[in-house]
Amino acid sequence: MSFKTINLYDAKKEKVLQVTFVPSISLLENLGLRNGTKVVVQSRYGFGGPVLCRVENAFAVAIGKDIATQIAVKEVSSK
Amino acid sequence: MSHHHGNQSDEKVLNNPNKILLMGNPNVGKSIFFTELTGVHAISGNFTGTTVSFTQGQITLGGKEYTLIDVPGTYSLSPTSEAEAVAARFVQSGAAAIICVLDASNLERNLRLAMELTTYDIPIIYTLNMMDVAERKGVSVDVMQLMVDLGAPVIETIATKRQGLDKLIQSLEVVLKQAEGCEYSCNKCEGCPWAAAREICNRACTKDVNANPSFLDKLGDAMMKPKSGIPMAIFVMAAAIAIIVFGGRGLRAGAILPLVNNVIVPFFRNLFTSFVPEGVFQNILIGEFGIFVISFEWILALIFPYVLMFYVAFTFLEDTGFLPRMSVLFDNIMRKLGAQGGSLIHVLMGYGCAVPAIIGTRAATNRKERIVISAAIAFAIPCISQTGALMSLLAGYAWWMLPAMIAFSLVLFATVTIIVGKMVKGKVDPLLLEIPNMLMPNPKSYGRKLLTRMKHFLKDAQGPMMIAILLAALLAESGVLGIIADAAQPIVSGWLGLPAEAVTALILGIVRREMSVAPLLALDLNALQAFVGGAVSLMYLPCLSVFAILAKEFKAKVAVTIALSTIVVAIFVGGLINQVGQLFM
Repeated sequence: MSFKTINLYDAKKEKVLQVTFVPSISLLENLGLRNGTKVVVQSRYGFGGPVLCRVENAFAVAIGKDIATQIAVKEVSSK
Repeated sequence: MSHHHGNQSDEKVLNNPNKILLMGNPNVGKSIFFTELTGVHAISGNFTGTTVSFTQGQITLGGKEYTLIDVPGTYSLSPTSEAEAVAARFVQSGAAAIICVLDASNLERNLRLAMELTTYDIPIIYTLNMMDVAERKGVSVDVMQLMVDLGAPVIETIATKRQGLDKLIQSLEVVLKQAEGCEYSCNKCEGCPWAAAREICNRACTKDVNANPSFLDKLGDAMMKPKSGIPMAIFVMAAAIAIIVFGGRGLRAGAILPLVNNVIVPFFRNLFTSFVPEGVFQNILIGEFGIFVISFEWILALIFPYVLMFYVAFTFLEDTGFLPRMSVLFDNIMRKLGAQGGSLIHVLMGYGCAVPAIIGTRAATNRKERIVISAAIAFAIPCISQTGALMSLLAGYAWWMLPAMIAFSLVLFATVTIIVGKMVKGKVDPLLLEIPNMLMPNPKSYGRKLLTRMKHFLKDAQGPMMIAILLAALLAESGVLGIIADAAQPIVSGWLGLPAEAVTALILGIVRREMSVAPLLALDLNALQAFVGGAVSLMYLPCLSVFAILAKEFKAKVAVTIALSTIVVAIFVGGLINQVGQLFM
């Protein structure tokens, strides 16, 4: 499989994504967003708003645009 | 309820070895357990950071007294906010036991904190909470397997429905007894807490992928989609405002005003005229502006109906999970203002009272965000007491005066947020917020929370009100008020265009916010004067309690700066509105 790496903010909705890079923000790590974590983008809010992600199919986190653009993900499979 | 932070009593609580810590991730139900176990009411709500400081209460277990501590929720012991730092300090100080509350619907991340806790040699008892939400999501947990892996008791509970609490107490007594006199050992986590948490979770949890989402889950999801969520949020806000405005007005006219005018005030009037001779002293007690007349007319008849209706709506909304959804939907607007959506929760709390709102900003990950939002709340967010008074003030004029005042306050909020954001150095952290499942508020805890808040309001409002009225009466009777009014005449009458007596509002407004409005009600103002008076009061110094909390939470310098600038800005902008308004009148 050779899916290219993109940032979380631009990722397609409703696809299972694997996190490949996270900036060092301790709250991200504490929430469980680390390398290898699986996330699905559920909604994106215009005008500089956040993205809403489902993490490990367990809970939802809203991630501000300025953080989401720094998180790298790759597509694992379509849902 | 005792809130403490950063002072000597902190040390006392930290050094107390007989304490039991109630810990867990944010928003897993700790405060509900606390209230049930101690009878001390801790305010709970369905969002991250309801408890930002600890609350303590006594609990008797096996004939021995313990102090139960409701520790702020934390994802990890490496804290990311002031509220989380409190949690880390508590574990480090040691305890007789920890009750670790786990959210069954989100076990892996919850176990991660548990893994960190196991390294501290403190007996732990686990409660597997939110079993109903887990079930709704198709997650089932093998409790026996979990107990084996954790090497400690695991009790299934549904805190919002009070299920499993008896078992928790029994188990806690056993654990405390076992821990006495012998070296405590449980399965300690060595190595990576995440890996260990995942392993345990994988062994204990099974997920049914075909689980049908419930109505609440669907509603929660719909509220998060921009297209459906924004109209729903606006509708909910509009409904809440309607409940407050019309409900408050109805309650006032239909029940409380007649009660005050026909029963309470005449009672005190008869009582005091029977033994207090006519004169100054009688006037101070039961004259037109007497303590026993005005305090009931203002607090009970003018303010209380709106306060009650505000908390009827707000208490419901905060238990459902609506507030964090607002944070997400409107993060873009807050970001444009230089803040972030997470603070919207505190702003909305500020419409009730600024004090818990400013304390609540401790959940923010960033100090700049705290100062910016606290300043904006002090300047531009009227508390419900003030809103009630403002509604009464503006009600006698054109219908559009109230919406105009709301629009003015929103513009003011945006302006203050932007300007303070530019003044305070540093950067605001972007939004990073867990969105909880939607929950239906439990009627019992809803009622109890509402009752607690009303008791607090009546207690907090009545005292300062009486002091302020006494102060006003003394100023008026001694003639000092006349001297101040003369001195302030150029500002109050010349610049603001208000009658000279309006200076009373500016003096009393220092004590409580609604009192910067209430004295204007008796002055027979024209529409422009009413609007100017309302606008000045909106911007003017928040109350003494807000000043105190600003000084406590930040430096005294911050509190003084905010207080002085509110006064200057209120008089300057209020005068501008008057001068511009004059051109059109």
